Amino acid sequence: MIDERRLKILTEGAKYDVSCSSSGSKRKNTGGMGNGYVAGCCHSFTPDGRCISLLKILLSNNCVYNCRYCPNRLDADVPRVSATPEEIAELTIDFYKRNYIEGLFLSSAVDGSPNATMEKLVRTVKLLRTEYRFHGYIHLKGIPRADASLIHEAAKYADRMSYNIELPSERSLKLLAPQKSKESLLLPMRQLYEEKREFSAEKRKGLFLPAGQTTQMIVGASPETDGQIVRLTQSLYRGMGLKRVYYSSYVPVVHDSLLPDLPAGQLREHRLYQADWLLRFYGFTAEEIAPENENLPLDLDPKCAWALRNPQFFPVEVNRAPLEMLLRVPGIGGRSAQKILQARRYTNLSFEHLHKMRVVLKRARHFITASGKFYGAENETAVRKLLIANESMENATQLSLFSTPETALSALTGEL
Amino acid sequence: MTYLTDGTKECFLTAFLLAFSDENAVVTSAQAQLSLGQKTVFVAADHDRAARAEKRLLTFDKGCMEDLDYLLRSGMDGHEQVAFRYFKLLAEKKAPVRDMLAEEEVLLASECIRKVTYEIHRMHGFVRFLESASGALYAPLSPDNDVVDLLVPHFRARLPEFPFVLHDVKRKKAAVYDGKNTFLAPLERAEVMLSADEQAWQALWQRYYRSVNIPQRERLKQMKGYMPVRYWKFMPEFSSREPFLT
Repeated sequence: MIDERRLKILTEGAKYDVSCSSSGSKRKNTGGMGNGYVAGCCHSFTPDGRCISLLKILLSNNCVYNCRYCPNRLDADVPRVSATPEEIAELTIDFYKRNYIEGLFLSSAVDGSPNATMEKLVRTVKLLRTEYRFHGYIHLKGIPRADASLIHEAAKYADRMSYNIELPSERSLKLLAPQKSKESLLLPMRQLYEEKREFSAEKRKGLFLPAGQTTQMIVGASPETDGQIVRLTQSLYRGMGLKRVYYSSYVPVVHDSLLPDLPAGQLREHRLYQADWLLRFYGFTAEEIAPENENLPLDLDPKCAWALRNPQFFPVEVNRAPLEMLLRVPGIGGRSAQKILQARRYTNLSFEHLHKMRVVLKRARHFITASGKFYGAENETAVRKLLIANESMENATQLSLFSTPETALSALTGEL
Repeated sequence: MTYLTDGTKECFLTAFLLAFSDENAVVTSAQAQLSLGQKTVFVAADHDRAARAEKRLLTFDKGCMEDLDYLLRSGMDGHEQVAFRYFKLLAEKKAPVRDMLAEEEVLLASECIRKVTYEIHRMHGFVRFLESASGALYAPLSPDNDVVDLLVPHFRARLPEFPFVLHDVKRKKAAVYDGKNTFLAPLERAEVMLSADEQAWQALWQRYYRSVNIPQRERLKQMKGYMPVRYWKFMPEFSSREPFLT
């Protein structure tokens, strides 16, 4: 059994990784313990409002790399510890059995060489899958510069893998994470993407990375604009088939002359997630969301901002508008749009109906008509003013990653 | 007229037939809700009439008995009245009404059902097992809705080699998986001999819980929104030796 001291250090080293979701895997229990939960499942929530779904832990925090932003970098004066694959496997099993967790999120500092580290990660996962017959969720972090054969081996056992882009441009990466390079991160992502495609094209037996890949980047430690970040995100979804891109607003845990001393705003991170949702679920393109050299507005959510820039599309009639258009109405999310589609088959919807159906009209009323009636403000200036007032009120009370109903829902199901 | 049922499906369906043409009908199983001046009938479950009602309702909507099952499990005040109004509308329309969300009856029923199914999902995550000396797992819980037996398939699929007991301490009953079969049984109190390592694993879990938090980003309101305080009672991360919120 691992001791509390090492558990604490190895957890604290892993906790800034944002990804925690346990969704996307249908892995069956074929004898032994555990299975996948496609929607994902949150087991607890910490006082910072984040969900605990997986046991998020490092195998070792002993690092030969010196990434400037990282608390475990070579130069840092911190206690160095590691755990054995056996200890991690045992911990996972005993936590899982008690229903504390949905599975394991295993990462590691580069301890010795990339290959040696990756080998140890793979050994842990293999131990769990074969010796312990564990079929619960496993998210494995990829180690940059490890051999392609090790990456392939890992993907046979893991549900999801991730290589962190770390910073939104090659220049910043060179500056702040000198031992990593764009290629060392993108090549393995490309390899896994192609191997997975091949695997499913050939309809082979078994599973190969059923929950796909994700990545994460730090926002606010380097000068890239939101416009650039959203474009990068879009290219990762389109070109690499990623399931999720996570953003983590920069928290200064180490002092460095190349890094800002102040944490990046949480609001900026929140806006990027909203933009990310627009890309994935609302049919928007990066180009529609933000010009390349600009940031997202902070006083308005990106959908409102888009709608105000494009008044020619509005108002839309809720009784006739197609789903794609309903989804573009500020304040109407996936669930509300579905409800409207269902209900309007039976009756002509009025504002009262929408209100009773719990469609939030605070923003939407400026952009829709119901049975021809319009209840929004008269001109664009007035609409803008009201929307901004709403926003600042919401931000004052509940500035958070999950403040829209859709994101809140997926946070609950562990998708976030 | 108030139609007082015993909370079972059979009794509800019997009451449904009796109350159907009564404009001021209130269907409930809660004695406390009886108001003065309102006439009350105590409905006795009638197997044949209930079966007839069920058969007829199923011709209107094949999935309606699943809806009824969820509605009757609800712990919400007035849930039987919500069910009554929903099924009355179904009988009037003689076709599925599930998607008619502009109708209040449908809206209330769908929200009531959603609360039940949502709690099932939540419990999949929030249940905490204690390991007993024999290796069997025991979890006390007190859900808002009567869902304890609906949790069994989930845990049975992932822990087929472990007998377990899910104990609804509020309703004093338990869903049991003995390693082979599952059944429901009344259970007032349970005495569990913990395994030798149980305390140590709980301590590790508490340590993990505290270490994974980022204190600079405290958002308690959000945390409690996702995991309401009433669910904390049986979670070891909140019964720690040190106060976790300072």
